[in-house]
Amino acid sequence: MTNELDGSRNMPAVTLTNIHKSFDGRPAVSSASLEVEWGEVHALLGENGAGKSTLMNVLCGIYTPDGGSVSIGESGQRAGTPSAAIDLGVGFVHQHFMLIENFTVAENIFLYCGEKLGYASPEAMSKFIADHAADVGLFVRPEALIGSISIAEKQRVEILKILLGGAKTLILDEPTAVLTDDESSAVLGLLQEMAKDGHAVILITHKLREVLGYSDRVTIMRDGKTVMSGAATKGLTRSQISHAMVGDKTQAIERDFWALGDVRMSVQNLSTEQTGGAGGVHGVSFGVRAGEIFGIAGVGGNGQPELVEALIGLRSVKAGKIEMDGTDVAQANVRRLRTKGMRYIPADRFKSGLTANLKVYENFGSTNVSRNRFGAWFRVDRAKMRRETDAAIEEHNIIGCQARTTSRLLSGGNAQKLLLARELDRDASVIVAHSPTRGLDVQARKSVHMSLLEAARKGAACILVSEDLEEVLGLSTTIAVMNRGKFAGILQQEEITRERIGELMLGHA
Amino acid sequence: MLDRVYIVSRQKIPNSIRAATFVGGLVAGMLISLAVLVANGVPPKEIVNEFVVFVFFDSAGLAQLLTVFIPLAMVGLAAAAAIKLQFWNIGIEGQMWMGATAATFVATMDIGPDSLRLILMFSAAALAGTCWIAAPAWLKLRYGINEIVTTLLLSYVAYLFVQSLLFGVWRDSDSGFPASPIFDEGFERLALLGWGSLHAGIWLTLGAGLVCWWMMSVSRFGFFMDHVGQNPVAARAMGLPVVATIVGAIILSGGLAGIAGAVIVAGQEYRLTIHIADGYTFSSIVVAFLARFNPIGCLAAAFVLAGISSAGEVLKAFYQLPLSMVTLIKAILLLSVLIAEFFGRYHISLRRKESA
Repeated sequence: MTNELDGSRNMPAVTLTNIHKSFDGRPAVSSASLEVEWGEVHALLGENGAGKSTLMNVLCGIYTPDGGSVSIGESGQRAGTPSAAIDLGVGFVHQHFMLIENFTVAENIFLYCGEKLGYASPEAMSKFIADHAADVGLFVRPEALIGSISIAEKQRVEILKILLGGAKTLILDEPTAVLTDDESSAVLGLLQEMAKDGHAVILITHKLREVLGYSDRVTIMRDGKTVMSGAATKGLTRSQISHAMVGDKTQAIERDFWALGDVRMSVQNLSTEQTGGAGGVHGVSFGVRAGEIFGIAGVGGNGQPELVEALIGLRSVKAGKIEMDGTDVAQANVRRLRTKGMRYIPADRFKSGLTANLKVYENFGSTNVSRNRFGAWFRVDRAKMRRETDAAIEEHNIIGCQARTTSRLLSGGNAQKLLLARELDRDASVIVAHSPTRGLDVQARKSVHMSLLEAARKGAACILVSEDLEEVLGLSTTIAVMNRGKFAGILQQEEITRERIGELMLGHA
Repeated sequence: MLDRVYIVSRQKIPNSIRAATFVGGLVAGMLISLAVLVANGVPPKEIVNEFVVFVFFDSAGLAQLLTVFIPLAMVGLAAAAAIKLQFWNIGIEGQMWMGATAATFVATMDIGPDSLRLILMFSAAALAGTCWIAAPAWLKLRYGINEIVTTLLLSYVAYLFVQSLLFGVWRDSDSGFPASPIFDEGFERLALLGWGSLHAGIWLTLGAGLVCWWMMSVSRFGFFMDHVGQNPVAARAMGLPVVATIVGAIILSGGLAGIAGAVIVAGQEYRLTIHIADGYTFSSIVVAFLARFNPIGCLAAAFVLAGISSAGEVLKAFYQLPLSMVTLIKAILLLSVLIAEFFGRYHISLRRKESA
């Protein structure tokens, strides 16, 4: 294999120059560049939404870039389709494995590259797979069913699969996110071996340890741009890296401060069940006072959705206490929590906030129907609901709709305003907002922030869970950082610095 | 050529386009059906006669149509209630079988006082239909098992159960035919209204339509149904009673299907036979879809389909066309309307080839 690679040593393994890619007019990647040499492990680092995945999808032929150039290996070509990328020697191990659960290991590998290698059946390929697996130190059992093997073994199958498929450049998207520490070390060590053999390895990661301990160079992305390009990791400090990742630009959110009241929401040692691939929450404790905005920062997928769901009553609590205004509500359902003033603002408005195909007024009135606000059980007073909705549309300046408009037609910003108008009512006592401005433009974002601050000023306790660090920094007086289902730390106002949060996010307490 | 054709989704669908596509689809479906009939040897002039005049404008024809309409509208409502909540009840026939069996049991065993016999028969039918849908509902809600398979298969179980009764304990000892003993005149039968074969079941069906309209379009339960059916995730986060709403709609569906079975035995056949529920699952879905799950729409769609069915009987008698022709025409109409809806949601545009 090494010989095969030698011939292409003149050109870098991958060169991406000034890549641009927009979706619906919103840039996901703007002027990002990446150059990866043969024989190195190259870390690609950045927050969620920084553009890492988009950039890699461009490299793998899944997206066509709007601008910029892609050159893969000696061919110097761009892969126009995913299969062209495979032919050019680029293999992608996705974070969510692309394996068919009820096929065996051999069948999955055969599906990927069997015919290309001239095998007639998965059985004929088994011995070849086993031999090769042993050669590169990837233990797999060709006859085992994917559904019956461990996550670590599935990952070995994925890696072996792309190697056998002729991959010379390996891309791994957060390969250690689902592994134990021992398994992580093993796979990272293996990647280093591959690089020594002459492969190029691109390691997408959120973990500082993997950048400093296992990578030769690092490229860091922020807001769709590369802010650090292929710097040698030797000599870089932790704070340099975390600073590059979270940046220091401040379109500061201006806010006033006011005296805080008593604790309205108190959480002690909260744990949730682990379901499927989700990690769950393990022993989280915090308190939020009236008038406070309590920020929860962290890289996505570290237990934030589970925490939010547990707080608002959508996920069962395995252990621990949740108290609202002194009452234990750990086992309360959504309805009871809402009666006590719990309110929820989700990131995905049309998935978990509004029913897209119903009218605006039906969404505005929905949460109050059970409380007899719009008539008794035998008749919903839709006229009254429409009147109140029209008043709210006026008051909250929701543009381009009437009470009878189908909600689906609202823009993201206006849909979120509608949601805020419903959720931030007089009776709101605890507000859980989960990335409330995801996908919104600057103006809509600002109006969401104003509404949250206003609700807090009126005495609500706000919990702001967000991957958007600017937002958390600008609005919160206390910030907790979540990592692997736990709070890596809780920072009071005077301790909050960008670097400190960046370090906690990257798993370095 | 084809690479210049673009299918563009409409952001907003005006009511005029909605109506136009529905009517357009219906007309297209009728024209295609007409062509099929003509190709099978029915003279075009006669079709107007048989189809329109005899079925809709003749007293005897209309009475026949309304008799067919009674169970059809009922099962249409049953399908609409469940499918609106994404619960695909493909077991309407099974629930009808169990409803008819329960009603027959009450009638032949002479359970309860005579004056309450009919009420008992229909209550038992509703209960039996509900029980028959309860198992698939529980499996779906508790374990996520696909209800399409379970409801469909339970229909066969119900059918075989009825067969074993009719060829066993209930077999007519005089004639030897697989049919239950005949119901007593008067208190075990729905009264004839003195217009052809039309019976009191018509009030039951119109009443069911009205009750469903109130439940699904007026009451709080209907408001919850809208949210839960369209977006159960959001409905849960809003604190709406998601499970209770689904269970309520499923009970409504199973109960109505059970009553539909009882209406046939108590209003038309006066006994349980082995063909009473045949084909109703398919028809109920056609009705529910043509009506867009609106209860009043179900009554209208069932009326049209009942017309096609009774016209089919006429065509069968005069032109020796197979009865499956009626099923074919129903399918053509449904497909046409559903396909036409595509043109409501999207418009097709031709563009010049863009320079890359």
